[in-house]
Amino acid sequence: MKRNNDRAVIRVVVFTGISALVTQLLIVRECIAQFQGNEFVIALTLFNWLILGGVGNRLARWIDQRWLPATASRLALVSLFLAALPVFEIYAIRCLRDVVFIHGSSVGFYSILLFILLACLPYGLMIGFALPYSLFTLKHRASGYPGTLIYMMDNAGNVAGGILFSFVLIYLVSPFQAILVVNLPLLATGWLLFPPPDRRRPVFYLVLCMPFIILVSGILFETASLTPAEGELAYYKDSRYGRITVHKNQELYTLFEDGSPVFSTQNIAVAEETVHYPLSQIEYPRCMLFISAQGQMMTEVEKHGLKTVDYVELNPEITSVLFKFGLIRDIPGVINVIHQDGRSYLANTDKIYDAIIVNLPEPTTFQINRFFTDRFFSLVKRHLRENGILSFSTQGFDNYLSEPQRQKLSSLFNTVSGYFKHVLMLPGQKIFFLCKDQPISMNIPELLSQKGIHTRYISNYYYGNLTQDRISQLNEQMDLSTPKNADMSPHLIKIMFFQWFEKHSTSPKGFIIGVIILCGIYLIKIRREEFVLFSTGCTTMGSEILVIFAVQIFFGYIYSQIGLIVTIFLGGLFPGAWLGSRWQGNKKQLLGWIDGMLIGLMLTFILAVQFGGVRLPLVFFLVFGLFSSLGCGCQFPLALSLMGDNHSAAARSFSADLIGAAFGTLLTSAILIPIFGIIWAAWGLIGLKCLSILITQTGHEKYQQT
Amino acid sequence: MKNISRRDFLYGSAAFITTTLSVSPFPAIAKNWKSLSGPTDIRGKILKGDAPEQLWKWSHEGFLYSKLDNHKVICGICPHRCLLAPGDRSVCLSRVNIDGTLYSLTYGNPCAVHVDPMEKKPLFHFMPNTKAFSIAAAGCNMRCLNCQNWEISQAKPHEVRHVELFPADVVSAAKRSGSQSIAYTYTEPITFFEYMIDTAKIARENGIYNVLISAGYINRAPLLELCKVLDAANVNLKSFSDEIYLKLNGAHLSPVLNTFKTLHNQKVHFEITNLVVPGYVDDADMAKQMCEWILKNLGPNYPLHFLRFFPKYKLDRLPPTPISTLTHFRELAMKEGIRYVYVGNVPDHEGNNTYCHHCGQLLIKRNGYFIPTYNLEKNRCKFCKTIIPGVWEEPEKREPYGLRITDIPEVRDPPRMIDRQILNTSG
Repeated sequence: MKRNNDRAVIRVVVFTGISALVTQLLIVRECIAQFQGNEFVIALTLFNWLILGGVGNRLARWIDQRWLPATASRLALVSLFLAALPVFEIYAIRCLRDVVFIHGSSVGFYSILLFILLACLPYGLMIGFALPYSLFTLKHRASGYPGTLIYMMDNAGNVAGGILFSFVLIYLVSPFQAILVVNLPLLATGWLLFPPPDRRRPVFYLVLCMPFIILVSGILFETASLTPAEGELAYYKDSRYGRITVHKNQELYTLFEDGSPVFSTQNIAVAEETVHYPLSQIEYPRCMLFISAQGQMMTEVEKHGLKTVDYVELNPEITSVLFKFGLIRDIPGVINVIHQDGRSYLANTDKIYDAIIVNLPEPTTFQINRFFTDRFFSLVKRHLRENGILSFSTQGFDNYLSEPQRQKLSSLFNTVSGYFKHVLMLPGQKIFFLCKDQPISMNIPELLSQKGIHTRYISNYYYGNLTQDRISQLNEQMDLSTPKNADMSPHLIKIMFFQWFEKHSTSPKGFIIGVIILCGIYLIKIRREEFVLFSTGCTTMGSEILVIFAVQIFFGYIYSQIGLIVTIFLGGLFPGAWLGSRWQGNKKQLLGWIDGMLIGLMLTFILAVQFGGVRLPLVFFLVFGLFSSLGCGCQFPLALSLMGDNHSAAARSFSADLIGAAFGTLLTSAILIPIFGIIWAAWGLIGLKCLSILITQTGHEKYQQT
Repeated sequence: MKNISRRDFLYGSAAFITTTLSVSPFPAIAKNWKSLSGPTDIRGKILKGDAPEQLWKWSHEGFLYSKLDNHKVICGICPHRCLLAPGDRSVCLSRVNIDGTLYSLTYGNPCAVHVDPMEKKPLFHFMPNTKAFSIAAAGCNMRCLNCQNWEISQAKPHEVRHVELFPADVVSAAKRSGSQSIAYTYTEPITFFEYMIDTAKIARENGIYNVLISAGYINRAPLLELCKVLDAANVNLKSFSDEIYLKLNGAHLSPVLNTFKTLHNQKVHFEITNLVVPGYVDDADMAKQMCEWILKNLGPNYPLHFLRFFPKYKLDRLPPTPISTLTHFRELAMKEGIRYVYVGNVPDHEGNNTYCHHCGQLLIKRNGYFIPTYNLEKNRCKFCKTIIPGVWEEPEKREPYGLRITDIPEVRDPPRMIDRQILNTSG
């Protein structure tokens, strides 16, 4: 009977792990949809999540000792509560956004940080609470119950959740359907923790019924919760790459990607500028490539009589929606739609084009930044004819070029100038870069007139909006000393980061100082073994982010590969923890050896990326990820054992691991990579691990050997 | 307590779900976001102790302010009436109290200088097809979430690069560029009031028109002073709701309405723009109320421009305005009795053209900034001889747009920024 109860608790731990991971991914996606869709928001969300988890771990110990000792029934209540909570969590993020902030407005860094922290607070704390509380339930029955087993089961649940979400649920169901699917087993296993006599009492049926109703309600209100204040919701889909909604307001259809309007049916100015600025420079263009396109562009392209237009779009859902709602026009026999990452497509094709038009959003994310780097421009150059033209655009300005934007344009200008003899920037709603090896004419209306092409915007507004004075002012303001934008050292991301702060009249300094102070206080209070777990959590999460960025750079954004990497980084934890728990030798020494192995791995990563580059096979990154997570998993039972494997040690170990992971996420994606680049970010993580070795191997504390 | 049966449980659950789910709160809430969501007042704040320790070359004592005890001052230019202690900086970011004297920090240091078509302002009934020498200095007394020029309107003067153009230099540069007017524009010209009025006086003496492009958040006394040298204005009536003004723009509506009345009483030609922001300003009832107020207080002759909204600055998560909404508003306003109603930011729209309010004939056809058809004789309709309100001059063959600004004396960079010149005056 006792063994049955233990198994029931273990089942709860596994299903909590599945539910937590899926909820975490859904919360990250919801935050991206509600705020800025960049890595900083991802980092902030994960940071808050992990910090809250760490605090929840500590709370569990406190509550267990001083208030409500862990029992199976109490754990059952926690599980049922946890099963229903994700519904409120997602609705809170989705609906409170427009209550707390002005509808339709973007939000600054600190507001996002605080909002996510408060929105994630109930679930983050509860999920952090549940894991050690489950362990305490078992330890109250058998004090020697190994904490490592719970850690392993939680990891197993996480891996299962990651695989389930990334490879199954994302393709088949909506967010609230996913919540129902992963929480029904938790609901059932939680219910089974109640003693059988209790389960037959009506009040306990109600306890089971309420979360179930909440889970079902979530699905039924899902579409309604996305209804726009302006017009109506014409289409909604949570695709692999983000949320796509189409709003219909009168006759206007606007496609929103993660909450930002990207394409609309009535934007003739942008369509004409994007198409005619570059194509007017080619006398008889025959073959061109669009890396993403939007409303009315194809209509404008048709005026040039091209034979082939290859149109690359990463997300198949986008093209299907664009064609469905008339946001883009098909030209049968001319347009060839390719669903692939644009960079990956160029790397694998032999086609040569007269013009390549990159029509992507601002490079605020690492994924988009890959289309504005030296390597990308070099790739483009190889696919252009001798007199071919590259065009891309970035956010424009009306009357004054601000300093961060000047730096951004200068960096782009300096980068692309290395590959083309002539680069002309045309100001306006967007700033268009025209890059060619032959001279570029500024008199676009005249060129179009010679070709007999009529336009509604360019013909009538160009001479008033793009005066020679404005064009010259822009081109002459470039700072030739601004660093180039490179894959490994994404200078644009850094600029965009500071531009984001400037737009909201804030500075990142306060946050960075606050994090350093909090981190300092925490590090002073923890033991050496906790520091090992903290630094390993930090390094492993940091490594995961480095690998994701590197893979995107070398292979393009391939959803299944990114999912695989995340899974591998979780997958090594379970066998690692199993290996660590079976080690009978000197545990302190092994901790040091594993630290050394993590340093070695990171050095290998640096060398491979520096010298291997695009020649590296994907399997390298997978093996790297597997060994990193094996090391991380292995250290947990060793450190826990050295700390005594009691209630306190378990809670502290879980906390250290989570808090370390939180700092690793933030440090790597928001500070190290944007400011110092990928290679130096990796060196930073090596430095942290060296510190870990120094601290553990020079200490003389007496360990509680178990 | 009696145990419930499985059937009771299922029936009870089904009933609960059905009743709960029949109430869907979201659509109702969604339709009311504009009043429910976020802060209700985004007005700017006085920045305590933010004034520079020393004045710079482009400082000028404030035009209209009161001195109080303890070296405090009250600025009298705009309705914020900033009460500044020594060392404080005003809401508009460009005025400071230094030892009990109010100074403007934007005198002779415009951060944006361009030559634009008059139609771009937009002014459709004032000197069509002419050029406006346009200048702006840093700062604004409003906090519009959709500001097109936020890089300079929400910046302090020392944070932006600027050129040096004192009032007489502006007039000289305007003449050299072939402009008939000087437009005080882009940011909020009211915040560089001293610079504007001194320049305007010299411009008038030199036969150059003065044009104000503003949100109209100004007190009556300085406006009356300005009207003495002002030839035309375009004032942005951002909405006809004080609630929306406070929420999206950080100001009140009534001072703006007073500005229209003053300009009307002082017989300054002005045009009204209204940016139709989806979800906020696209309410037909509100547009109707606005038109009624215009007719009652200003009459039917002032041109009204409904502008299309595009996502900008912080208001970047809204869709653009549907063109049909603008068309509908134009029809609505004309039906109410406003004679000249235009649609802006929409190429090739019928609402870009001017039709005689009496005979309905096409007077001015506008293809962007080009005027292929012009059917006015002086200020009268060529067909029915009705006087058309505005300031007109026969559009002759003028130099094309795009002349370069030459001989701008010097470029000043903010102390901590770049050391490159922003304007190369050689070519």
